[in-house]
Amino acid sequence: MPSFFLRDARLPQILFLSLFLVLGVATRDWSLHWELVTLNFLVCLGTQAALSYLTRRPRWNLLSAMVTPLSLSLMLRSHTAWAVALAAFLAIASKFVFSSNGKHWFNPANFGIVLSLLLTQETWISNGQWGTAAGLVLCFAALGGLITRRVGRLDTSVVFLLTYGGLELMRVLWLGWTLDVWLHRMSSGSLWLFAFFMLTDPRSIPNALWARMLWAGAIALSTFALQNFWFVPDALFYALFGMSLVTALVDRQWQAPRFEWQGSVRGAHPVY
Amino acid sequence: MLRGLLALLGAIAIIFSPTSPVFAFCGFYVAQADAKLFNRASQVVIARDGNRTILTMANDYQGELKDFALVVPVPVVLKQEQVRIGDQNIINRLDAFSAPRLVEYFDENPCDAVVLRAVPAPSSAALESAVANQGNAARLGVTIEEKFSVGEYDILILSAKESDGLETWLTQNGYRIPAGARSLLQPYIRQQMKFFVAKVNLKEFSRSGAQSLRPLMMAFESPKFMLPIRLGMVNANGTQDVIVYLLTPRGQVEVANYRTVKVPSNVTIPVYVKTEFGRFAQAMFQTAYEREGRNVAFLEYAWDMSNCDPCSAEPLTPEELRQAGVFWLDGDRPTHSLAPSRRPVRQPPTSRAYITRLHVRYTRDRFPEDLIFKQTNNNELFQGRYVLQHPFRGTATCEAAKAYQRSLPKRLEREAQTLANLTNWDITTIRRRMNLSSLDAIPFWRRLWR
Repeated sequence: MPSFFLRDARLPQILFLSLFLVLGVATRDWSLHWELVTLNFLVCLGTQAALSYLTRRPRWNLLSAMVTPLSLSLMLRSHTAWAVALAAFLAIASKFVFSSNGKHWFNPANFGIVLSLLLTQETWISNGQWGTAAGLVLCFAALGGLITRRVGRLDTSVVFLLTYGGLELMRVLWLGWTLDVWLHRMSSGSLWLFAFFMLTDPRSIPNALWARMLWAGAIALSTFALQNFWFVPDALFYALFGMSLVTALVDRQWQAPRFEWQGSVRGAHPVY
Repeated sequence: MLRGLLALLGAIAIIFSPTSPVFAFCGFYVAQADAKLFNRASQVVIARDGNRTILTMANDYQGELKDFALVVPVPVVLKQEQVRIGDQNIINRLDAFSAPRLVEYFDENPCDAVVLRAVPAPSSAALESAVANQGNAARLGVTIEEKFSVGEYDILILSAKESDGLETWLTQNGYRIPAGARSLLQPYIRQQMKFFVAKVNLKEFSRSGAQSLRPLMMAFESPKFMLPIRLGMVNANGTQDVIVYLLTPRGQVEVANYRTVKVPSNVTIPVYVKTEFGRFAQAMFQTAYEREGRNVAFLEYAWDMSNCDPCSAEPLTPEELRQAGVFWLDGDRPTHSLAPSRRPVRQPPTSRAYITRLHVRYTRDRFPEDLIFKQTNNNELFQGRYVLQHPFRGTATCEAAKAYQRSLPKRLEREAQTLANLTNWDITTIRRRMNLSSLDAIPFWRRLWR
């Protein structure tokens, strides 16, 4: 792979997410509107540019703002333009509003998804949209692994999947189900896409390795609990949202150099 | 809280049978050995708003009534007032309303019929003695929580501590459990499920004047929105079909742990299919099922219940909707819910009911997990709709008619291809049925030098 491509992990991330979007539309039965995907991009980029200008950021970082609409389009469904626009706006705005120590608290797409689910009756998550294909899981893991390794956050995905998988395994064994129930739960495409492409945003997760691992484990635990005891199908997103609230606290506890995208301006201003 | 957390929605029944593979949509039937059972596509209606659920199970039992008994796990202990007799006509109405347009093949599907061998059911005396024999039940960890009669059904609600105890209790009381069922009972027991055991009271049945067993309706509150199908697959090697009509105040219902895929729709197919729509619909479903990897739920219909376009049957009246279990039509008055509620949640008044019709064909290997449903905010309307376009056969001499005639073979060929693709039928046979000479059969020079 060309070096410029790998230098900034956002480039392969944008490429892979676009690939998944095309893959999903072509091979899966998604009710996706291209005009809403376009709107999503326009609002995200527009909000990023406007808020960067208003807050006098030295760089607008439009590349980061390309990842968010892709994630939103992949994970959040809607037929309503204003709801899509709202989710996109909230996602990007959250980076500017909820930030400290040069980092934003929430994964922007996750923030947009959760807020739009809570505030509107126009969006939904299609949890089973990828099905449970092994090939797809491998694809997400391989491409996601490439990026997360590049940004040094592979540990987060691995700890999350191991913890969640372990908890699910214990539950399945305790209940007396056969192992194929566990395999079925673990081969959900949505789970792996989340683990590699939403959980690992280096700009919003703890910097220190041990903090990150603890954090990923806590998300896995809350996902497991929300799913199995409170029967919340969208548990992944709420778990990440909840744990994001404590990221700032965790970072204060375990100091480590914060993540910078390659080529960003380091210094007084936070990079979005 | 614990009960709420562990409560499991849905109903499961399993057929008990000692020898042959047994099938039922989600559970056990118990019947006599020489009784013949036909298990057609099972039908379940779930009306749900928040945690409140009214579940209706259509009874497709075809054997001797005196041999009938049913074991259905339920999420909570049900009292008499939470169980009602439903109306099969309402389920038929829902089926007709939501069926693929011009198609009503789910009513009659003898090809899918499975002849079941069944086992002796407990006699009424056995059931009575079972109730009397509380001490033994307690020793086995089985508790008879409730005992009541509703319509033609005598019902017991059991709870169990261990699957061994439940199995022993059921065996002692005349039920025979198929091999492998015990291990499948365990997960439900551990999730604090109760077991709903019903058998037919023949006196009541003859008094009701009904021709066949009427559907059972149950009302309960549970955060879990699912249909356990796993228990019904004990010993089963073949495919089983379940059609679930999900009624909600708004939005489509999807399956959260499997893909939900729309059935092929809005396609133009040869007109001769009109006379064999049932066969077409079955072949199309089977082809789509194979093509999608045999592990998806098919969306066949998603619509607001107040209208339809085109209508395959008149929309259900508010009264019919109520009979189907829709309890929110009167706004926030919870009186129509059969389930007692300690904390009535005030819902905004709505007169809407949205129907999602899901068709799941499942096997043990491709559907290891129970179906978990999820209500979405997706208000998109969808229907299985198949277009028959009759070609103009009169005489016409204008230029446009000539162009039309020239274009016709291609169009008809396209229809033939579509049909072959949808159903996996032999294209040559389709062309013959359409009286269509294959384009390939025309020598190339004739096309060049016409």
